[in-house]
Amino acid sequence: MNRFFFSSWGRDPDKTGPWEEKGLLFPARFDDDREIRAFMGWQGIICRDPSVNMVDMCREYIKRAQQESCGQCTPCRMGTRILGDILERICQGRGTGADLPALKSLARQIADASRCDIGQTAPIPLLHALRHFRDQFEKAVREAAPIPRGTYLFKVTAPCTSACPSHLDIPGYVEAVAQGRYEAALKIIRQDCCLPGVVGRVCVRPCEANCRRGLADEPIAVKTLKRFVADYELDHGKRPLFPEIARKKQRIAIVGAGPAGLACAYYLGLRGYPTTIYEALSEPGGMAAVGIPDYRLPRHILRHEAHLVERLGCEIRYGIQVGKDISMDQILETGAAAIFLASGAHQALRMRCQGEDAGYEGFMTGVVFLREAAFGRRPLSGEKMVVIGGGNVAIDCVRTAVRLGFAEAVLVYRRTEAEMPADPEEIRDAKDEKVAFHFLTQPIKILAKKGKVTGLECLRMVLGEPDASGRRRPVPVEGSNFVIQTDAVVPAIGQACDLSYIPPESGIPLTRWKTVAADPVTFQVDGRPIFAGGDCFYGPLTLIAAIASGKNAARFMAKYLEKGKCLPEERDVMEGLIQKIGVYDPQEAPPIIGGRARIHPKTLDPEMRTASFDEVERGFCAAEALQEASRCLRCSRLALAAL
Amino acid sequence: MIAITIDNRNVLAEPQDTILQAASRNGIRIPTLCYHKRLSPIGSCRICMVEVTGMDKPVPACTTPVAEGMTVETRTERVMELRRTVIRMMLINHPMECHVCGASGSCALQDLAYEYGVAAHEFGEIPVNRRVKPYATPLIPYDPNKCVLCLRCVHACQEIKGIDALSIALRGSLAHIQGERSRCISCGECWQVCPVGALTQAVTDPPTRIHQMEAVTTTCGYCGVGCQMELRVMDGKVWGVTAPDDPEGPNNGSLCAKGRFGFDFIGHPDRLTVPLIREGGRFREASWEEALAYAARKLKEICASHGPDAVMGFSSARCTNEENYLFQKFLRAGVGTNNVDHCARL
Ligand SMILES: Cc1cc2nc3c(=O)[nH]c(=O)nc-3n(C[C@H](O)[C@H](O)[C@H](O)COP(=O)(O)OP(=O)(O)OC[C@H]3O[C@@H](n4cnc5c(N)ncnc54)[C@H](O)[C@@H]3O)c2cc1C
Ligand code: SF4
Ligand code: SF4
Ligand code: SF4
Ligand code: FES
Repeated sequence: MNRFFFSSWGRDPDKTGPWEEKGLLFPARFDDDREIRAFMGWQGIICRDPSVNMVDMCREYIKRAQQESCGQCTPCRMGTRILGDILERICQGRGTGADLPALKSLARQIADASRCDIGQTAPIPLLHALRHFRDQFEKAVREAAPIPRGTYLFKVTAPCTSACPSHLDIPGYVEAVAQGRYEAALKIIRQDCCLPGVVGRVCVRPCEANCRRGLADEPIAVKTLKRFVADYELDHGKRPLFPEIARKKQRIAIVGAGPAGLACAYYLGLRGYPTTIYEALSEPGGMAAVGIPDYRLPRHILRHEAHLVERLGCEIRYGIQVGKDISMDQILETGAAAIFLASGAHQALRMRCQGEDAGYEGFMTGVVFLREAAFGRRPLSGEKMVVIGGGNVAIDCVRTAVRLGFAEAVLVYRRTEAEMPADPEEIRDAKDEKVAFHFLTQPIKILAKKGKVTGLECLRMVLGEPDASGRRRPVPVEGSNFVIQTDAVVPAIGQACDLSYIPPESGIPLTRWKTVAADPVTFQVDGRPIFAGGDCFYGPLTLIAAIASGKNAARFMAKYLEKGKCLPEERDVMEGLIQKIGVYDPQEAPPIIGGRARIHPKTLDPEMRTASFDEVERGFCAAEALQEASRCLRCSRLALAAL
Repeated sequence: MIAITIDNRNVLAEPQDTILQAASRNGIRIPTLCYHKRLSPIGSCRICMVEVTGMDKPVPACTTPVAEGMTVETRTERVMELRRTVIRMMLINHPMECHVCGASGSCALQDLAYEYGVAAHEFGEIPVNRRVKPYATPLIPYDPNKCVLCLRCVHACQEIKGIDALSIALRGSLAHIQGERSRCISCGECWQVCPVGALTQAVTDPPTRIHQMEAVTTTCGYCGVGCQMELRVMDGKVWGVTAPDDPEGPNNGSLCAKGRFGFDFIGHPDRLTVPLIREGGRFREASWEEALAYAARKLKEICASHGPDAVMGFSSARCTNEENYLFQKFLRAGVGTNNVDHCARL
């Protein structure tokens, strides 16, 4: 079938040339019933239906831009209003020949002179339409007949917002910080992230990797700004004001008080649903409490934010392991209207290294080691410890070993530093704390005497061809065996989910990676009153992804309980479309002159750090926060789909 | 110092300069509106846009830092037209009634329209809300139609006063300044920095524009800080108070509510303008010579009959330091007592 297809996505409206078919990436269908007839955004127009009236679509787009315009610069505040008035007049059949050149020159000037990306990008699709759909504009002026309004969906995003799994309104809260409105900033953050003090300390920051300012100099310190407002609230003895909500009768049960479970309870609480969380441990926070060490995330922050969740009608029942102390069936019998599974990924992956199952004294997996340390114990004895792995968990293990008094803490990784998945800042911190790194080293055998670890036999590696992940695959060097003497060996090469509490006869589907199979948007399992999120759904991932899944699951659970079923909503589909087309453009050169360096929070002196689990990174002071927040370019982008 | 080029002139700039600062340091004028030397750069009006070689788009001179080797052009056809467009946009909801506006003659928008030859509503007119809106203080009426949303007032309230009573309400062309009465201290800093006639004062009803009246520079008498102020005088009457816009002096061009608005006592009928002497329970007017001689005689008499410690001196924070110094000297050395105190200690 020869279908109509037009795309000017990513093209300069003033240049002719081969059409970039980037727009082809864009899906044709919105959902089962509806097609996407056209899409308008910050880089142009994609159109699959020639009957879409581009004049009307531009009218709608510019009207939305005017409504989003913050009013802080003249060209966007007034200019989009003038553009909108001209387009409205044309659509009402009262346009004149002079309107088209006026639209064009005004649109260009607004794009040239506006302060942020709303004003800088809003005129772009109009300029594209004036060039590529000029006949429609001319016809509208010539025929002077009213143009009916089409049906559109609209969404605001930003490169950082779109990269964040929970899609926080980052330009919104960063600007609030820049204006000194800290409580307003926190309110914006809490709409999508109920643990700001936690995430503001240990988030892996996909937003910063996708920050447009990074293309000019350095990304905005989005994470530390979040921490700043969370700390401000806590330090000033303020508490968030939650709206008074009528409590609903139906209670929802949650397995696991990790970030996913807490987020689900928080956002259900805001909707009036009381929740009961069953938690095997004696602490809230899941891996954020018993994985992430205290020097990165002090426990009182986590407890404080978990306590806020309790204020919203959540009861956390500690020390109850589902599957042992209570079964899934029993939970349903206690009257839970639905269950959210958020049990995380707490089982260590095997290394395939000789001796790892021998039960030697001095051998312990990374997750168990960190959990023991989190409860204030020193689970391994000796002077020297070797940790195996290259991710953040491995780094947490070696840095914890340093603090537990191991004179020598060594990290063994089979590739080089460049391939390490761990955060470069944490690698730097570990180096500052005198952790030794053995790269291109593969353990093959744990050596022991009388059942006690004495060393680790390893092979040297070289880097070969790139593998599926794009990283060069390490290849062992024949006969390069050597031994590292050590008292303790801790592998930290990944985790898997322990889903043994889910009885096979329950019929809850699992994936072949042994995670719970659920809908990726609604998090519902198989149409049942059961939902799953966080690491037990994704496999080991991140805090913010766990929070996002808990937040969204709460929305869909409420929908399910109220309507009997739940399907993705229009905003979810719009978000999916935007993800497909991509918001962050690494090729772009932002129209600013860089050179305002990012502010880095101070850290505790390395000598002071290793004696305790005191927090290493400090937050910002108010002056630093203001200076950092005012670097944000406010890259808001507007997307409009014609259905 | 770093070397840059502005309008084909090689000039030197401080490394932390903005383009605007570098230009004005070298005598090159770039038009501005929202920029104010007592405030951090705002970047809202977009009048100061200039072209920099290598950049696709013009950049605002007031917020863009200079860089070694940068080439700037301040008067290309593109930016001149841009400035005209921005002025037209500012005029779109602006009432064209300069003849009845208190800011006429000292209005940045009027000056820009003059300089760039923008006559009237070239982009048509949006009749937005022709009412004066409630503002942070009843002493300052706010006209949203004349407001160009430069945000100087918001920044002044936050940066100079640390009060933060002002913010933007609504979005797009409906955006305007809103004030929080519970925070506002009526200092009038916003009025002082407003470049147009959007903010006025409701304390007097002056017969002509305050900025065109004679400015009598004086020191504020309310406290001992010594703020410099200009009494705006016409027909022997004070109609308003402004602060000299120079960063010298203890107040850097800023005033408090009392200094700015508390001047009605100057011409008040109850004000004492001559000394009074009480005789037989009634006051009668006296000359300064007579009054001072009378006081000196009485003080001497008291000292002679009861000793100098029967006298005490109490002075005021509204005198200068020098006056207070002389006063204690007078009591200690002249009268001979250490009984001297000051109201600021209470
Ligand atoms: C060492 C380490 C460091 C990390 N560092 C970071 C980081 O810096 N940044 C980041 O974003 N992410 C980090 N992560 C990942 C992050 O912690 C997890 O992705 C996140 O905690 C997942 O949240 P969750 O709620 O899905 O599961 P979890 O946090 O694992 O919580 C699950 C909870 O369920 C409980 N539970 C499990 N089974 C049962 C049962 N049968 N009955 C009752 N309760 C049960 C567990 O005790 C636990 O409390 C780290 C992970 C580890 C291990
Ligand atoms: S949204 Fe951006 S471009 Fe629009 S008025 Fe505000 S600062 Fe200007
Ligand atoms: S500059 Fe600000 S809005 Fe733009 S991507 Fe970075 S954080 Fe987001
Ligand atoms: S009131 Fe005056 S100072 Fe305040 S934004 Fe409007 S024009 Fe600017
Ligand atoms: S003076 Fe530079 S933007 Fe207003």
